[in-house]
Amino acid sequence: MADSHSSRLAYGSPSDEVAEDYRKALEDLTMNSRYEISNLTVIAKENTEHALAISEALKNHIKQTSPAKKLPAFYVLDSVVKNVGTPYTLFFGRQLYSTFMEAYALVDNNVRRKMDEMLKTWKEPVPGSIDTRPVFPPEVTRPIENALIKARTSAVQAHQEHLRSQQQLMGRGRPIASPAPYRNTPTPPGALRPQTQVPPGYASGYSQQQFPPPANGQQYSNQMNGHQQYGLPQQPPSQHYSQPSGSASSWQQPQMMGYRAPENSIDTLNSDIANLITASKAEFAQNPWDSSIQTRLKALLDLQTILSSQKLPPDQIALIKDQVAQLSEASQPQPRIQTPPAHPPPPAPVAAAPPPAQQPSLSSILGSGALAALLARQSATPQPTPPAQSVAPVRSPPQTRAQPSYNPLAPPASSSTPVPDPNSLLEKLRAAGMLPAVPAVPAATSTPPLPIGSLVGSVPPGFPPPFINTPPNATRTPLADVPNDVVLKPASLKIPRPHLISNLYERLGSPCTQCGRRFQSDDEGRKKKTAHMDWHFRVHQRMTEAEKRGQHRSWYVDELDWIKSREVEEDQNTSAADIAGGPGAAGSVTANEPKLQYLAVPDDPALANSICPICQEKFEMKWLDDAQEFVWMDARKIGDRIYHASCYAEATKDGGNSQVKRGTPEPILGKRKAEVSGIENRRL
Amino acid sequence: MAQLSGVAIPGLGQAAPTAASSAPAVAASVAVHELQANSEWRFEVAIGRSIEVKVLSGTAELFGTELALNHTYTFRGTKAAIFTWHGCRIEVTGACEEYTAEETPMVLYVNTHFALEKLRDDASKGKGESPRVLVVGPTNAGKTSLVKLLTAYAIRMGRQPMVINTDSREGLLSIPGSLTATPFASIIDVEQGWGSSPTSGPSPVPVKLPLCYYYGLPSPEDNTRLFKPVLTRMALAATSRLSDDQAIKDSGMIIDTPGVVSQGKGGYDLISHIVSEFSVNIILVLGSERLHSDMLRRFSGYRTTTGETITLVKLDKSGGCVDRDDEFMRQTREAAIREYFFGDPKRTLSPHTQQVNFDDATIYKIREANPMLASFLPGGEEDTELELYEKVEPSSMILNCILAVMYAALNDSQETIRDATVMGFVYVAEVDEKKRRMKILAPLNTRITDRPMIWGSWPEATMSLIG
Repeated sequence: MADSHSSRLAYGSPSDEVAEDYRKALEDLTMNSRYEISNLTVIAKENTEHALAISEALKNHIKQTSPAKKLPAFYVLDSVVKNVGTPYTLFFGRQLYSTFMEAYALVDNNVRRKMDEMLKTWKEPVPGSIDTRPVFPPEVTRPIENALIKARTSAVQAHQEHLRSQQQLMGRGRPIASPAPYRNTPTPPGALRPQTQVPPGYASGYSQQQFPPPANGQQYSNQMNGHQQYGLPQQPPSQHYSQPSGSASSWQQPQMMGYRAPENSIDTLNSDIANLITASKAEFAQNPWDSSIQTRLKALLDLQTILSSQKLPPDQIALIKDQVAQLSEASQPQPRIQTPPAHPPPPAPVAAAPPPAQQPSLSSILGSGALAALLARQSATPQPTPPAQSVAPVRSPPQTRAQPSYNPLAPPASSSTPVPDPNSLLEKLRAAGMLPAVPAVPAATSTPPLPIGSLVGSVPPGFPPPFINTPPNATRTPLADVPNDVVLKPASLKIPRPHLISNLYERLGSPCTQCGRRFQSDDEGRKKKTAHMDWHFRVHQRMTEAEKRGQHRSWYVDELDWIKSREVEEDQNTSAADIAGGPGAAGSVTANEPKLQYLAVPDDPALANSICPICQEKFEMKWLDDAQEFVWMDARKIGDRIYHASCYAEATKDGGNSQVKRGTPEPILGKRKAEVSGIENRRL
Repeated sequence: MAQLSGVAIPGLGQAAPTAASSAPAVAASVAVHELQANSEWRFEVAIGRSIEVKVLSGTAELFGTELALNHTYTFRGTKAAIFTWHGCRIEVTGACEEYTAEETPMVLYVNTHFALEKLRDDASKGKGESPRVLVVGPTNAGKTSLVKLLTAYAIRMGRQPMVINTDSREGLLSIPGSLTATPFASIIDVEQGWGSSPTSGPSPVPVKLPLCYYYGLPSPEDNTRLFKPVLTRMALAATSRLSDDQAIKDSGMIIDTPGVVSQGKGGYDLISHIVSEFSVNIILVLGSERLHSDMLRRFSGYRTTTGETITLVKLDKSGGCVDRDDEFMRQTREAAIREYFFGDPKRTLSPHTQQVNFDDATIYKIREANPMLASFLPGGEEDTELELYEKVEPSSMILNCILAVMYAALNDSQETIRDATVMGFVYVAEVDEKKRRMKILAPLNTRITDRPMIWGSWPEATMSLIG
């Protein structure tokens, strides 16, 4: 790419002069020409001492130039930041939001798509570079993403409204007012045929002028690593889908995809979805309390219903198909635990709420990985994912999630999942900052006509922490390997031993973003961390429930129980027991005590003193660490009454003869007990 | 007790608004502090106030517990310090008195931890005993902060130390007046002193399970006849747990003491008592030359029950230690009691009130050793004739007092009741002498009249919880 072009600029010339030259060169840039863009990049590279002036010139150019010339100018910016990097990233980063958004508002959908793609690459490391940092730090790209998502979401909703009214008006007729043709080829927009929908100002010249294939046939592509944007179906275009335009579609994303004959697609699609549902159901059976699986399952079932009951526009089908295909691909949880990129301590704080987890955690939070994989479809790419952490609350997930209800095509949700509304639960968690606000499964359900790729692609698989302040994780070194010569003698205690401090930090692994607890990066550590994140997740989940129920301080344990109790790591005692510990749940299985049945001690005072109707005895109250609750052991709720599980089992075993007593039947004693408890109730 | 964090390290002036003028700085709204490596940001938040702290970059720890990056921590009514080994940037929202200190005894403290860690490693390999550490020192020398620091470091390295609190002035995972033994296997709640004992609901920070005894007086010397046997009992339970529980056994014990025992003869006897009951093998003397030499004299040549000698180490007091005045301590006690019944801001608890007839309640009042009476006895011998407790009928005297509900039967002997652990605490909210009944606030809705209750003078009856 070296070029004589740069010689045009005398070294040491004042910044103004360089900037002026650069500006002029930019003015000449009217199309997506790799040659010219390379030149401009080289100039920028060789004049880093004037980086500020050059970046200002480019910024101003992007602002002032006609919409048709904005994309090539952006390609220059893109090329400069990727090939030169600092200090340009710094200078561009400062106002990237306004630069990007102002232009985005003015350009047409094709250019927007290109800009989306470009934005996506900015959140990743430069392809082929050893530097694992993203092109722009997340705090620069995130606001842009957020704004785009917001805009799209509202556009989608408006579009669907519009669509519905259109359909009501003209049946299945398509508005012809302003058709925007779309193709699914990755060829530059210049190859598109003229568009009639573009605003008058530059409409006529748009397609001819803007991106004519450059003479040398080469175009600058910011997708230099050749990866494809998601959302681009691979089928050849068989027809063009004309998108209805309306006021709402000004923000709308191009429906750049062609699609197959709908019937075909739908058939494959249906079978794909059916497969996924089967898989999800199996998963659900394994993790019945994993709301993420429920969410996904519900979404898939909804999708199935939609597909079977509605005739969807082909573009939406194409989108769904894409989603489903990716979901299927991602059927295996990918425990892609990478040590977070080693970054020097960043000067910049991270704005948004802390991500709940690090790399491995998303999949752990969202269950056995499938949903995480859905979000992390890009995880297949070998590059480290960009630390676009903290995508959290600002991403306005509620709108996205709420889409099904806006979607006029969506029938009432057909849910076969036992939990009433996992969505609301998830939403609460998001609100609590517990979950990254990620437009997750509903993207597949609601089939928004968005380039989901750019949307989902922006969510890296694991939300690595933005920057790890401590040195990269060393491989685990037991303390014994580190010379620890401290003895309890004044002289020895006074010597600073910085090498030992690492035993409390980096040697312990990377910290949990919720509580700072560190976990090793080996297999066991990862497993523990996953369990730990699950625990955080469950606690937050349960805290909301508990708040409603009301909670109280428990009695302290007595001596004997205390001596016998063991501090199990709360979070390492995974699912089974804890899951069943929920109110009303019974029949948990723990490793130690198979088929342990218990019930959370009822808060209702009337129930709290209840006795087993069969044996007339009280329940054994016990603090269950796994459940973080006091429970009645061997208890089971049948209807409104609580029984000893063993009594009930015995009683029902022989034909429901409920007179069978447990232990020595002492009806009189039992009666007395019942009275006592009645008195107690009154007194309390 | 939750405010134990305040205990000593951090400090500067008093939190009371009246003392504000003496404060080096009063931060307001949002401030970002850049801390150099090995420096400490000390802050005081007045009771009733709160600040939010967020670590933006670097590493930071509060009394040994690492703070998560970009996580907002809220501190209420506390005196504490954030230390950094690597340097960090913290963002502070809200007003507090604060300053940054470059000089800290942290190297000393962390080396102490690593020395203990070595002993633990050795112990788990069968070489020697695990450390059973006693921390002594004058009041406000930073004992509890050091205990917490050593505990937190041990937890971080995967240990499960047992923490013993013998200071009834402040509680540990319980209210003042209690003595507790608690194994720590999970992260200490940095916002809430030591964290929380179990509740009926989930907890954002894992709860700890204390074994709780009741002493009910502010100073061990107020009634050594009660204090010593209770300690003996607690040591027995703790030792039993240790012998059963390998993880704790390898980690050892860390014992906090009240400052008053470090002040002279009578107190030294109590130290000896603790040393022998808990088989202490390491004594950390905080901030007092004289105490150090007294301890040397007392324990040189001493052998524990397992035949070990005692290692005695003098450690410097942190410059951040600050005197906590009576008012602050009183408010801290109140806050601890309030927290016991009503929870903390992260989690609201709903206690229950119940009416109890005078005749149904079995209440034992702790007799305070009467110094007048003792002085008449030959050789300062204690009056062993007098019973420990006096069975009393409720009266208006008991209003706003705390009663400890014991794990004992109504007809148990006084010794049995003394040795029993505490089931929970209740608060007398109303006394109606005419109708002979009282209103009791209990953490949960269970009958309490089938157990004896102990009425101590500590924590004092000073406030109305239900207002």
